[in-house]
Amino acid sequence: MVRRFDDEDDDVEEEEYEDEEEQLLDDEDYDVDEDVGRGRGGSSKKRGRSDFIDDLAEEDDEEDEDDDDEDYGGGGGRGKRHKAPRDGSQFFDLEAQVDSDEEEEEDEGEDGFIVENGADIPDEDIGRRMHRRPLPLREDEQEDVEALERSIQARYARSSHAEYDEETTDVEQQALLPSVRDPKLWMVKCAIGRERETAVCLMQKYIDRVSDLQIRSVIALDHLKNYIYIEADKEAHVREAIKGQRNIFGAKIMLVPIREMTDVLSVESKAIDLSRDTWVRMKLGTYKGDLAQVVDVDNVRQRVTVKLIPRIDLQALANKLEGREVPKKKAFVPPPRLMNVDEARELHIRVEHRRDQLTGDYFHYIGPMMFRDGFLYKTVSMKSISAQNIKPTFDELEKFRTPSVKGEGEMVGLSTLFANRKKGHFMKGDAVIVIKGDLKNLKGWVEKVEEENVHIRPEMKGLPKTLAVNEKELCKYFEPGNHVKVVTGTKEGATGMVVKVEQHVLIILSDTTKEHIRVFSDDVVESSEVTTGVTKIGDYELHDLVLLDNNSFGVIIRIEREAFQVLKGVPERPEVSLVKLREIKCKLEKKFDVQDRYRNTVSVKDVVRILEGSCKGKQGPVEHIYKGVLFVYDRHHLEHAGFICAKAGSCCVVGGSRSNGDRNDSFSKIGNFKTPSRVPPSPRRFSRGGPPFDSAGGRHRGGRGGHDALVGITVKVRQGPYKGYRGRVVDIKGQSVRVELESQMKVVTVDRNFVSDNVVVSTPYRDTSRYGMGSETPMRSSRTPLHPYMTPMRDPGATPIHDGMRTPMRDRAWNPYAPMSPPRDNWEEGNPASWGTSPQYQPGSPPSRAYEAPTPGSGWASTPGGSYSEAGTPRDSGSAYANAPSPYMPSTPSGQPMTPSSGPYIPGTPGGQPMTPGTGLDAMSPVIGPESEGPWFMPDILVSVNKSGEETHGVILEVLPDGSCKVALGSNGSGDTVIALPSEMETVPPKKSDKIKIMGGSLRGLTGKLIGVDGTDGIVRIDDSLDVKILDLVILAKLP
Amino acid sequence: MGSAPAQIPTSFVHELRACLRCRLVKTYDQFRESGCQNCPFFKMDEGNERVVDCTTPNFNGIISVKDPSRSWAARWLRIGKFVPGCYTLAVSEALPEDLQNMCEEVHVQYVPPKRA
Repeated sequence: MVRRFDDEDDDVEEEEYEDEEEQLLDDEDYDVDEDVGRGRGGSSKKRGRSDFIDDLAEEDDEEDEDDDDEDYGGGGGRGKRHKAPRDGSQFFDLEAQVDSDEEEEEDEGEDGFIVENGADIPDEDIGRRMHRRPLPLREDEQEDVEALERSIQARYARSSHAEYDEETTDVEQQALLPSVRDPKLWMVKCAIGRERETAVCLMQKYIDRVSDLQIRSVIALDHLKNYIYIEADKEAHVREAIKGQRNIFGAKIMLVPIREMTDVLSVESKAIDLSRDTWVRMKLGTYKGDLAQVVDVDNVRQRVTVKLIPRIDLQALANKLEGREVPKKKAFVPPPRLMNVDEARELHIRVEHRRDQLTGDYFHYIGPMMFRDGFLYKTVSMKSISAQNIKPTFDELEKFRTPSVKGEGEMVGLSTLFANRKKGHFMKGDAVIVIKGDLKNLKGWVEKVEEENVHIRPEMKGLPKTLAVNEKELCKYFEPGNHVKVVTGTKEGATGMVVKVEQHVLIILSDTTKEHIRVFSDDVVESSEVTTGVTKIGDYELHDLVLLDNNSFGVIIRIEREAFQVLKGVPERPEVSLVKLREIKCKLEKKFDVQDRYRNTVSVKDVVRILEGSCKGKQGPVEHIYKGVLFVYDRHHLEHAGFICAKAGSCCVVGGSRSNGDRNDSFSKIGNFKTPSRVPPSPRRFSRGGPPFDSAGGRHRGGRGGHDALVGITVKVRQGPYKGYRGRVVDIKGQSVRVELESQMKVVTVDRNFVSDNVVVSTPYRDTSRYGMGSETPMRSSRTPLHPYMTPMRDPGATPIHDGMRTPMRDRAWNPYAPMSPPRDNWEEGNPASWGTSPQYQPGSPPSRAYEAPTPGSGWASTPGGSYSEAGTPRDSGSAYANAPSPYMPSTPSGQPMTPSSGPYIPGTPGGQPMTPGTGLDAMSPVIGPESEGPWFMPDILVSVNKSGEETHGVILEVLPDGSCKVALGSNGSGDTVIALPSEMETVPPKKSDKIKIMGGSLRGLTGKLIGVDGTDGIVRIDDSLDVKILDLVILAKLP
Repeated sequence: MGSAPAQIPTSFVHELRACLRCRLVKTYDQFRESGCQNCPFFKMDEGNERVVDCTTPNFNGIISVKDPSRSWAARWLRIGKFVPGCYTLAVSEALPEDLQNMCEEVHVQYVPPKRA
């Protein structure tokens, strides 16, 4: 033996030297070299893979040293190999291999590809295969030497069955990856269902004609119908082979790219793990698709007994048994229903109750069918059931719950459910409960998860710190009140609060739909996340109004896996239908206005009360309007995600009920006429009433010069995209007019020629028209110096004022009478206490109350810095306020803090802050809340100054009592100092990462950094507190 | 590699079984009559029970190999040294333990199927 080793080793060493040279010469032939290297090991750079040759080298230890030196750090794997005995067979292999190596190298020299000519069989494939052959022997090496030696004889004597003992490590497998020199795979079409047959037939053909066929193999995959793969070097070989095969349609032969070759062959062995209680589905027959539970498995005969919910038409069965005529055609599959033996007997079906010989259990027999507890026990072939990825739905399992063995049985069934659990099901910290075994019902927390065992920290004292429990014996545990997220199943993505726990079933109150959902505790994880689940499919989102195929429409109230639940726009009764994505025509986004029962205009976001129908009394904001149908969202309405569909005519806008309106109407008249005379002339005081219209108007007219009387007038647009809309003119610039649309609450610019100003307002709008006339008086907001800036600067929809308009008060705002009344009320009665007692006035006219409140304090005027104190304007605005119901009124500076938000505040604290002299308006604004906003100029902020047509940037140094500002020109305030009127300034909207100052809201005066912009909101990090706030961009001013 | 090919299955769907060790596919009868050419030590031809134990009808895909040593697919599937014949790509079950021990005794490697 020793001698042989030496010989061998010499050989090897020689070979190695050769090889190294070769490698240098022949670097591009990497693949080959690698293979060769694997055969002989030492020389290859891929030392890691070429272990076995080391063994050889090691065999004689001393001589080996040389070898070692040659190795590039190849010693890594050696140590362990020393102890490995080896069997002689290796050397046979090696010798053979060396030979073939030489051959192969020659081959390479000639040309890279072997020309196939049938006779030339010992090509590189054989060589390469042989190289690999020694590899697996390592496994054997681990074994007893003697035993091995003995076996070698036996094995090689019986060469007819070459044993296959390669080590299947991933690395080894990697080495087998196909190269360009391997045969290729070709895909050929074949008759469906004949894949296997074809493969076998080709084999037969090969055997019959021996080496005539040059294809290497034929592969039929079970999961790939209609195709087989043929391994061959050339397409021509494939053609030759498939000639005359009737099941192969060889018109098209497709080459499988080398990269995909391994994918073809990587078939996961289906782990059919059928055992008792496994959930399976039937594949064939009447019960196709039905859930079944395995009761018995016969592996030898490949049959399983399953428990099913029978689908038996008893009547038909009875007919058949009695020999009566049975209709041949099976028109329908009977619905699944548990068998009722008594019922069967009533139909004179013979039911036997006897013992099953195999199981020893009692069954009811009807003919050959066996029933127990109403379930059908059926023995079927394993092939006719599918056990892969069976996920019984909740409802199915419910039906399988046997009344008699509730509890235990259920839990058992449940545990088989867990077979489908994904890896990483349990995570550290999860609350779990043991559901099986001695520790049943023990609660605990997951500490560590191993392969199959989960270490839990039990809740109960006196137990070891951690217990290892098989994961199949564990179930997640939740308590009512937990907030969870559904992670698998049909309800995936939904979140909600656990309201009830029924063993493994949780009842969750969904965050979105406010409905109860029942889920397996296995399917949820604890999460504070509040999601609505999927809220969007395609372009459609939850709560969108959509037009459906049949021209019906509705609101999406829930989004399921691939469908939407839509509350149809049928006011008579709630009608919900399940709609597929493709059944939706489009989203309806256009905003319409309609009139409620009392002909008040209802727009989206108005709060309405439903006056009739099943939802009578419900109340909420209008989310959508379409074809006279309102979709009202009432969060107290638990059905249909809170949506109620109602006819506009059966609703009324809340806050503008008819009776009040009438009263207000009269007030408004009085207000209109009386107010002027009451207005105190002092410009420095906040007056209860407005200044005389005329005087103020005169001034403004004069001041602005050139503005014609159109401003303030209600006009109708005659042409253009806004044709037909009516609105009030707020500004005129050259040829264009800016019109505040009545219906849309926005200001649009229209060509002056496109508007007509003789709007004859019909009856319900009489008030409006008067309001319009009233607005001819110049103090209608727009004339106040600040106003022109205010309006355009704001995003009409976004500002609180408009919100206010949408809220109940809005109605008043639009109906001139409403706001008129309160001032009057108060003035005349002079009794602040009555404010709170006049409910309709409260919501309707907060502004005026706001005025009331501060009135007593004459200190208003002296408040420095406040925008209230601008000389001249306050009176106007005040008067405007008191008199004019225009929703835009609040946009005058003085009006702003008084906007709706002040309503609730004032009554609560009569004579509160605003009265405090010296508190000033600055102080007031935060109190009033974030709703009060507007660009109130403040020191330090960057503004763009538009003086005499030139626009420059500047920094406000000081805000003067009259509202104008001392501005240092230049974008960092380095230029001249000028005095700018508010109307001449505009704040500079900040951009991301600009330094900003907050101009309004409760944080007014603070500085920060704009770290992000989201629509009209800015995300601000406040400098002082480092808090991150989301604020309306409008109240953020850029700092230089 | 002139080994005689194994019997070619005579049926294509029913009764086909695959040897749990070498994945050779034949019909039940063929196994019973002549055993498995690659794994004669199982001695399937000596008892019907053995056939049932050593083979399975649950397998996935068929590859028929004319010359296993020259087929890349066969090498990849590690059947490159077996006799020509029809094999399956993967069996679904592992060899029973006693038979695994038997493999060890005769120094034949057994590679259990990889599970998904």
